[in-house]
Amino acid sequence: MALGEVPGSVGELADDAYAAAEMQTRILVVEDDKDIALLLARELRGLGHTVDAVSLAEEASLAARSSDYAMLIVDLGLPDGDGLDLVRELRRRSVEAPILMLTARRRVQDRVIGLSSGADDYLVKPFAVPEMRARVTALLRRPSRRRGQRIAFANLLIDGEALEALVNGESLCLPRKQFQLLELLARRRNHMTPKHMIEETLYGFDDEVSANSIEAQVSKLRRALNTAGAGVRIETRRGIGYRLVGVDPAARWNG
Amino acid sequence: MAEPAPSAADLALIDPDGHFRLRLLEDRRMLAGGDRSEAGLAAVIHRLAGAAGTFGYGEVGAIALGLDDRLAEGGRIGADDLARLVAALDRAIARSA
Repeated sequence: MALGEVPGSVGELADDAYAAAEMQTRILVVEDDKDIALLLARELRGLGHTVDAVSLAEEASLAARSSDYAMLIVDLGLPDGDGLDLVRELRRRSVEAPILMLTARRRVQDRVIGLSSGADDYLVKPFAVPEMRARVTALLRRPSRRRGQRIAFANLLIDGEALEALVNGESLCLPRKQFQLLELLARRRNHMTPKHMIEETLYGFDDEVSANSIEAQVSKLRRALNTAGAGVRIETRRGIGYRLVGVDPAARWNG
Repeated sequence: MAEPAPSAADLALIDPDGHFRLRLLEDRRMLAGGDRSEAGLAAVIHRLAGAAGTFGYGEVGAIALGLDDRLAEGGRIGADDLARLVAALDRAIARSA
């Protein structure tokens, strides 16, 4: 059940807003109660977030593979499985976005199990809408596990705190969009990153994205990596997306 | 203590299209009907327990929560319990009309 989209990111940003916008406010709602799902979607859109809503654990698992969500709201009792299993699976897959569990289970023991399964917060149904809004805002404000994270891959180091990418300790001096692209690909290293996910990360809802904008950014990034002697390369799979893989420095890709 | 039913202004914000109120009508019909299954009954009670309070129907939510807890603990619910829930639904529907 896709419930549509509202802009959640901006185009050109001042440096101090860069880190905040880097983490797109796209939220996945996993809730089988249609009325609650619609209420959540409407309220979250009102806060300026982009919202996708699904009603099954399987749909949520697929959605989390194809989009890079800033946050997930997961109901515990789903028709095709337990929300706890979904949370465990997402954490196993290194989905690092904060997860707010939503449940009618009110026992302390249930809340403890939910939090220890990988959820970041817990909201008991029925909930007050202002409390839900406050919890979402607080979770998004929390320093994320991702923000400030350092990613090391081959001789490449991406410093999310300093917004810098280094090859053998030397800065690549990448422009903003190329840095965002490299960080995204590195976070998903060895896995295909769909083109639409790159678009969502690099561009805001109101940005005009030409047909070859992504290809142009990838091409520039490849050149920068190649020139710096990075031990990684960006593979293209036509019609699907891109993948960052490590290469033997001696057999480095020259495309 | 049951909370009052939502005002028209509350409902315009929380349930602008009246979907949830329509659902209360359907749930009331199901709960009062004679051909309901135990699983169907439990599903309606669980849904009401989770959602009614959020949409401002505190009395319905509180009764449904109590029944949902009892079912979760393996207990049974009787005709008088259902009558109490249906009566609360009637009051909620009448107030939000």
